[in-house]
Amino acid sequence: MLALLPHIVNGLTLGLLFALIALGFMLIVGVMEVINLAHGSLFTLGAYLALSTIGADWFAGTGFGSWWLGLPVAARYVVALALGPLLAGAAGLLLELCLRPTYGKAPLYGLLLTFGAALVIEEVIRLVWGTGEQHLPIPAGIDGAFLLGGLIFSTYKFFAAGFSIVAILGVWLFLERTPYGAIIKAGAHDSEMVRALGYDLSKLRLLVFGFGAALAGLAGVIMAPIWGLRPHLGIDVVIPAFLIIVIGGVGSFWGAVIAAILVGLAVGVTGAYAPAWSLLSMYVLLVLVLGFRSRGLLGRKSALEN
Amino acid sequence: MFKSKISRRRLLGSAVAAGGATAFFGPWKHNRVYAASTDKPIRIGLTADASGQYANSGASDRRGMIMAIDEANAKGGVLGRKVEYFHIDTETTPATGSRVAERMITREDCGFLVGALSSGVANAIGQVAQKYGVLYMNSNSSSPTESGENCHRVKFVWDGNGANFAKAAIKNAIDSFGSKFMLLTNDYVWGHDTAAATRKLLTEYGGTVVDEILVPQGTRDFSAALLTIQQANPDVVAAAVGGDDQKAMRQQVAQLGMGSKPAWINNQQDWPDVYGLPVDNLFGVFGTTWYYRLDLPGVAEFVQRYQAAFPETAMRVPGNVFYNGYMCTRELLAAVERAGTTNNIAVIKALEGHVMPAKDRMQHFDAMIDPVTHQVQQTIYLATANTAPAEKDDLFSILTQSTPEAVKDTAAPGACKLESYEATPTFDA
Amino acid sequence: MITLSDIPRRGGSPFTWPMGLFLAGLATAPLWLAPIGLYQYLGVEIAIWILFALGFNLLFGYIGLHSFGHGAYLGIGAYAFGLFQKNVDVSLWGGLGAAVLAATLAGALVGACLSHRRGIYFALMSIGFGQLFWFSAIKLRHITGGEDGLLGIPRPDLVIGGWRFDLNDNAAFYWFVAAITGLVTLVLWRLANAPFGRVLQAIRQNETRASFVGYDVWRYKWATFTLSAAVAGLAGGLFAMAQQSAYPDVMSLHQSGLIVMMVLVGGGLVSFWGPVLGVLLYFIARDVLGGLTETWLLWYGLMFVVMVMVRPEGVAGLLQGLRRRPDGRPAPLGKA
Repeated sequence: MLALLPHIVNGLTLGLLFALIALGFMLIVGVMEVINLAHGSLFTLGAYLALSTIGADWFAGTGFGSWWLGLPVAARYVVALALGPLLAGAAGLLLELCLRPTYGKAPLYGLLLTFGAALVIEEVIRLVWGTGEQHLPIPAGIDGAFLLGGLIFSTYKFFAAGFSIVAILGVWLFLERTPYGAIIKAGAHDSEMVRALGYDLSKLRLLVFGFGAALAGLAGVIMAPIWGLRPHLGIDVVIPAFLIIVIGGVGSFWGAVIAAILVGLAVGVTGAYAPAWSLLSMYVLLVLVLGFRSRGLLGRKSALEN
Repeated sequence: MFKSKISRRRLLGSAVAAGGATAFFGPWKHNRVYAASTDKPIRIGLTADASGQYANSGASDRRGMIMAIDEANAKGGVLGRKVEYFHIDTETTPATGSRVAERMITREDCGFLVGALSSGVANAIGQVAQKYGVLYMNSNSSSPTESGENCHRVKFVWDGNGANFAKAAIKNAIDSFGSKFMLLTNDYVWGHDTAAATRKLLTEYGGTVVDEILVPQGTRDFSAALLTIQQANPDVVAAAVGGDDQKAMRQQVAQLGMGSKPAWINNQQDWPDVYGLPVDNLFGVFGTTWYYRLDLPGVAEFVQRYQAAFPETAMRVPGNVFYNGYMCTRELLAAVERAGTTNNIAVIKALEGHVMPAKDRMQHFDAMIDPVTHQVQQTIYLATANTAPAEKDDLFSILTQSTPEAVKDTAAPGACKLESYEATPTFDA
Repeated sequence: MITLSDIPRRGGSPFTWPMGLFLAGLATAPLWLAPIGLYQYLGVEIAIWILFALGFNLLFGYIGLHSFGHGAYLGIGAYAFGLFQKNVDVSLWGGLGAAVLAATLAGALVGACLSHRRGIYFALMSIGFGQLFWFSAIKLRHITGGEDGLLGIPRPDLVIGGWRFDLNDNAAFYWFVAAITGLVTLVLWRLANAPFGRVLQAIRQNETRASFVGYDVWRYKWATFTLSAAVAGLAGGLFAMAQQSAYPDVMSLHQSGLIVMMVLVGGGLVSFWGPVLGVLLYFIARDVLGGLTETWLLWYGLMFVVMVMVRPEGVAGLLQGLRRRPDGRPAPLGKA
C-alpha cells in the first residue's frame, strides 16, 4: 500500500493536468456545442508563441529586444504565460468567424471545419518555427526536483498541477459569479432567450470561442516543459480531451474535472502495475462509464445528440 | 514469393543498355561535361519523411543525399551521366512509403531509392523495391529487423542498429556502474528487439535484469515509470524508448535530475532530435555513428562543405543522420562507377562485401558492407552529454569507439534470408 | 440544401448516366492513367478507396451515423487477408472471404454496442472502438507484426474455373480491383435506391418518426454499420494485396478522419456519387500537389475549410447547383 501511495499522488497530479488540457475544449463544446478539433493545434500554437516571446524572435535585433533578453527568465516567462494564450485566443477569434456559416447546421460541420483548421494551423507552425524539437525555458524557481519519502518528484509538475487548480477555479468563478458567465451559461441552454434579452449572440460566441482557444494555449504553455515542443504536439492533446469530455458528460463542468482526475488515476496506477496497458486504460474507462451511463458521469441532454 | 517479372521496365532497361553502351563514355567524365547529352540521367528517388514524427530528421537525411549528389555532378556525373533526384514526402507512414516507392519507380523512372528513418516506412519501401529489383539504401533506420528478418537483396542498411549500440554499451556499463539492470522498453517491435539484444548480452557478461517496464508507444508521461525505477533502485537503466516518446522522457528525466543516478544507457541519439536543446536534456550514455568534432582528418573540411552547401539551415553543423544520408548516397554512386554499369545486379555485387577505408568515412576503423545481412559494419561511438563544450553546438563528449567486429550484430545473419540474384528482377537504371 | 431524399421513390435501373460514366472510367483507367501523368498503382489505390468510401457513405450519408473510427475495419480486413495467406492457405477468394468475415464480425459486434447511440455520442464511441482496434494492432505484435506491419503478403493468382490469372502486375491487379469495385457499387446503388435506402434516410431525418411508423431503427442502424464494415473489410483485403502488407496506420484516428473528409468534400451527404468525387479529388490533389510542394496539406486544409464554409454539400452539391432547373428546384438525382 505504501508503494502505491506515490503513484496515487502522481495520478492525481496527472489528472489535474488532464483537466487543464480539457478545459478550453470543454468550454467550447459545452456552451457552443462545437467540437473543436483545432484544440490541439491551438494548444501547440500557444506554446510556440510563448517560446517566441521568451526568446524575442520578432525583435531580437532591436534595442528593445536586447533590453528584453537582458531581463531574467522569470519575468519573461510570466509575460509569455499571458501573451502566448492571448495570441492563441486571437487565432481562436479568427476561427470563430470562419465557423459562423456552420451554425444552425448539423454539429458535424463545426467538427469538420475545425479538423481542417487543425491541419492548417499545424502546417503554419511547421512553416514558421520549423520541424525540430524546441525547448521552452522555465524559471529556475519552478524547475528541478524535490525529495519526498525517499522519492524524487518534479517541482515543475506540482507547479503545473497547482496552476491547473487555479485555472479550473478561475474558469468556474467566471462562469458562476460574473454576469458574463451567467449570459454564457444562458446561451448554452437557450440562445433564443439570450437574444430576446437583448444580448448579441454572435458577440457572445466570439467571446466564448476566443476564451476557449486562449485556455487551450495556456494549457500548451504549461505542458510544453513536460511533453516537449514540436509541431505535431496537438494530436497528443485532442484524444485525452475528447475522452474526458465524454466520460464526464458533455456540458458538465465538474463532470469533466472528475473524469480528468479519474483518467489521471487510471493512467498513473496502471503505469505502476501494468505499464504496457497504461494508455489503453483511458479507453477501457470510457467504455465502462458509457456502458453504464450513456451520457457520461454528469452529462445532460445536448443538441449534439441529434 | 515475388515473381521476377517486370516487363515494361526490363524492356525499357535493355533498350537503353543496347543503345547506350554506357561504360564507353568513361574517359570523358573528367571533363566536367556530361559525356553525351542524349544519354539519360541517372534518377534517384529520395524517400525522406517531410511530415509526421520524423519530419525533422528526414530533412537532415535528405540534405545529406543532396550534397552527395551535387558533389558527384560537380565531378562530371556518374559514368558520365548526370545524376538527378526527385523527392516526395513519405509522411512517416508505411502505407505512404509503399505508394511513393511505386510512383518513383513506375512513373518517375527512378533507378535507385535512398532514405529512411522509420523502420515501418523502410520495410514498406524495401518490399516494393525488391519487387521491381530497384536498389534501396536504408540510410537511417536503426531497427535490428532491417538487417534481420526484413532484409532484402536490394536493400542496404547504413546505420548502426540497436544490437550494435547495446554491444558497445553493456560491458562498459557493468564494469563502471554495476550489474543490476532495469529495462525501460517501448512496447513495440523496435523496443522489444533492442531489449532482447540487451538481455542476451547481460547473460553473457554476468549482469541481471531486475525488472522490465514496458511503456506503450505514444506515452507522454513517464512519471509512473520513473517512480517505479526509483523504488526498484537498479544500478543501470537500459532504455529503448524512441521517437517522440523519447523526447518527452528526456524532458522529464532532466527535470527530476535523474540523469546520473541511476546510470542510464540510451540507444542512439539522433543529432536532429537533440540539436539546439539544453545540454541537460542529454543524459546517460548513448550511441552514435559519427560526430562533427571527431578528431580525424577530413571532418573539419566536411563540416565546412556542409555549411557552404546549406547556409540557410538552422542546424549549423551536420550530425549522424546527415552523415548516413550522405555516405550511403556517395557509396551508392561510387559502386555504380566501380560496376561500370547501372545494371542493378552488378551494382549490388559491387556493394556486397565492399570495404570502405576509415579515412574515407571519417571514422576510426574501416567499415564493410556485410554480404550476408547487407548492413554496414562500422565504428560505433559511445557518447555522453558534454559538460565542458568548446562551442555552442558541441553537445557530445565521445567516450569510446568500438571496432565493427566488437559490436557486430550476431543474431542478424541467422534471421536474414536474402532473396537470390535470380529471384531479383534485373534492369539497367 | 439539396439532400439525399431527392432520390426518387423507386430506384429503377441502376444504369443511369453517372453510373455509365463511372463504370466506363473504372474500366478504361489503365489506358489513360499514364498519358495524363498518373500511374497504375495510384489507380489501384483510388479504386480501393472508392469502394471503401461508398460503403462508408451508406452509414455516414444515408443513415447519418458519423463514424470516426472506420479505418479500423479496413485495417482488420487487411490483417485478416494477410493472416489467412500466411497461416491457412495462399488463396485469393479465401483471403478476401476472411477479410470480409473478420470485418463483418467486428462491425456486428461494435455495431451492437453503438446502435442505440445518437449524434455525438455515437461519433465518440466509434472513435473509442477505433482506437481500441488500432492500439491492439500495434500491441499484438506477435500476430500483426506490430508497427512494422504484416509484411510479405502474397498476391495469389485469380482462379476462375479452369482459368488462372497472375495478378502480380499492377495493371492485371487493377482490372481485378475495378471489377470488384464495379460490382459492389452496383449492389450498393441498388440497396440505396431500394426501400431499404429510403428507410435509412427516414431514420436520418427523424429517428423518432421512423420508429413510430414501425421500423426497427436499432436493427437498421446495426445492419448498416455491419454492412459498411463488411465493405471496408473487402477494401482492406484488396489494400493488403495492393501493398502486399498490412500496417496499423490505416486504423489510426487521422486516417479515419481523412475518409470522412473525402466523403464530405465530394458531397456524400447529397449524392450517392459524392464519395467517388471526394476520393478522386483527395488522391489526385495529394499526388500532384505532394510532388510540387511539401506544404500541400496546408493548401488542402484551406480548401477544405473554405468548402465547409461556403459549400458544405461538397463537389456533388456544387454540380447539382449548376444543374438546378430555372424554377430553382433541384433536378432529381437518380434520373439525371
